[in-house]
Amino acid sequence: MQEIYENEQLLEEETEESSDSYSQLVWQRFSRSRAAIVGGLMVMMLVMLAMFPEFFSPYNFYATTLGDSYIPPTEIRFFDVDGNFHFRPFVYKQELAIDPVTYQARPQIDTENRYEVQFFVRSWEYKLLGLIDTDLHLFGIESDEVRIHLLGTDRFGRDLWGRIALAGRVSLSLSMIAALIAIVVGSSVGVISGYYGGKIDNAIQRFVEVVMSFPDLPLWMALAAVIPKTWPPGQIFLMMAFIFPFLRWAVLAREVRGKVLSLRETDFILAAKEQGAGDFRIIFRHLYPNVLSHVIVILTLMIPEIILAEAFLSFLGIGIQEPLTSWGFLMKSAQSLETLGQNTWILTPVIFIVVAVLGLNFLGDGLRDAADPYSNL
Amino acid sequence: MAEANRGNLILKVKGLKMHFPLRQGMLQRQVGTIKAVDGVSFELREQEVMGLVGESGCGKTTVGRTLLRLYDPTDGEVLFHKEDGDWVDVAKLNRKEMKDLRKEMRMIFQDPFSSLNPRLTVKDLIAEPIIIHGAASGSEITARVAELMEAVGLKPAYMGRYPHEFSGGQRQRIGVARTLALNPRLIVADEPVSALDVSVQAQVLNLLQNLKDDLGLTFIFISHDLSVVEHICDKIAVMYVGNIVELAPTDELLRNPKHPYTEALVSAVPPADPLIKMERIILEGDVPSPANPPSGCVFHPRCRYAADICQQEVPPLVEIGPNHAARCHFAHELELQGVVNVPSEQA
Repeated sequence: MQEIYENEQLLEEETEESSDSYSQLVWQRFSRSRAAIVGGLMVMMLVMLAMFPEFFSPYNFYATTLGDSYIPPTEIRFFDVDGNFHFRPFVYKQELAIDPVTYQARPQIDTENRYEVQFFVRSWEYKLLGLIDTDLHLFGIESDEVRIHLLGTDRFGRDLWGRIALAGRVSLSLSMIAALIAIVVGSSVGVISGYYGGKIDNAIQRFVEVVMSFPDLPLWMALAAVIPKTWPPGQIFLMMAFIFPFLRWAVLAREVRGKVLSLRETDFILAAKEQGAGDFRIIFRHLYPNVLSHVIVILTLMIPEIILAEAFLSFLGIGIQEPLTSWGFLMKSAQSLETLGQNTWILTPVIFIVVAVLGLNFLGDGLRDAADPYSNL
Repeated sequence: MAEANRGNLILKVKGLKMHFPLRQGMLQRQVGTIKAVDGVSFELREQEVMGLVGESGCGKTTVGRTLLRLYDPTDGEVLFHKEDGDWVDVAKLNRKEMKDLRKEMRMIFQDPFSSLNPRLTVKDLIAEPIIIHGAASGSEITARVAELMEAVGLKPAYMGRYPHEFSGGQRQRIGVARTLALNPRLIVADEPVSALDVSVQAQVLNLLQNLKDDLGLTFIFISHDLSVVEHICDKIAVMYVGNIVELAPTDELLRNPKHPYTEALVSAVPPADPLIKMERIILEGDVPSPANPPSGCVFHPRCRYAADICQQEVPPLVEIGPNHAARCHFAHELELQGVVNVPSEQA
């Protein structure tokens, strides 16, 4: 029997060189898009910040110092007053003086001493990821006389930079969990609807239409408003994470259903049936992996939507509550025009929201192009 | 064992019908019926290869899929002679019984590009039926996959690769290996080479021929191309709009067609000798829609011999000679042109 196939071996030589797996193909395509890489880096930076806010923050962002409220951002300098360049960045001591005419606080710089910014300093103690006891911080100043506030302080004198890092933890994880719930619900409903078709499909799709026609912001506001403020913060966080998927799953269910509908008619699903595979196996081994790339793309695009929605609710004060904080919640004090006018730096969380939303959108777009490497490579 | 069984009946199909409802509108009201297969009957003996030919849309693929219960037939019997000696009606089995039977009846799909899940490796693809039926476990699976890959002329070293890394011919070999995984007895090959380049077609056909000889398989070979099936098939059934119009041993059918439609098909097969001039019969018009077939003989609008009776009465399948039947009112009278020199049996 062997001789018969010998001449056919020729055919196989062409694919001799080693091959790429699916993930490698996706990466090849993904890395071709510069926007996607930039987006990915932006997201990664924010995730790092949100994972280790204590490490990035030189001061304990829970400790309130009333005397330090609304301190403007500290200027980081490389040149001293005489114009000499210093390789190591430093700050000058800064004191607030009241302007006798406008009664506004004006920072007065004391140029007598240069205080160098130290890296990897040891100061306040914390638990890294809630597990490891440490007191290491990325930067700080080893002097009690001056403080370094990259983005100023809030009303209670807490370092805004540290607060933003901490808020990122809530903003990002809440939107990721919410998006994940929406994805799980939406894709399950979509797969069932598309795979079984017929009356089930018809019923599910009509329901999806009803859900999609709901105005989302009022519903979210209503749901967030009924969460008792007396609940423990963890519970409030979880409730918020469940509120956002309420309507968001529907869009996904519709898209996944469309995908499944087209996949259902492909030969490899028919081949699976022909082999005797049951519904469970067909759905999870053949259908799901083939819609997964699509689902991941929608996930990355849904997270920024929820970040914005959460920021909106928290800004209005009906979302996250102290001691938790989110980017939207940090800007709550900016509601007062007077405060905002004098302390513009309290709007800096906006920058982080913009970076997160842009980064995730870039990432999602890049993933969308890369997700299907078999089409017109 | 295989030799001893040769000639025993393995499959008896009686009056197989597959009608698809045509639905429309929001409430999915049935507005018509597509009679994709309308009363197909034939018998198949063990180790026989039957060709099922016809134009696209004539229902040959539907016959294949209905035989394997990928569609639930509207009517008719599909009697299959199981390995343990029992006859079962495939059309009436429940899900579990059908799953058991799938080990014995398998299918090769037409398009090797869409019939392999792009997210599974070759090993996973070939092992899939083995795992579903619990036929082996652990390292046995790997060994079996390697064995199967060798049997279809693929290097077992390629086990970890994905289908997109293979050429069309190689992909179809993966499909064949998957089909063979559970040692089936009957294989429905649904146009297994029509999606392949001509140069590769012969290789895959040879592979199927060799596997048939080595493993004693029985084949139903679906094709729209007579020249593909004539080499591999013992007998050929010609289908037209959901029905078999002529059924005869390959040589007989090619040399002595008794249905005008077969005559037209045969005339399209290029003769082996280029010097021989043959009259090409060009059929006018299109295949009628199975949702709205013509009255009487479905072929009459395109038939150059059609008489009045053809428009009114449906012709029965009449025996013309041994194992030769045709569905034509004039099967006995017409002098039809066959292949002038039938190519000698394939070496």
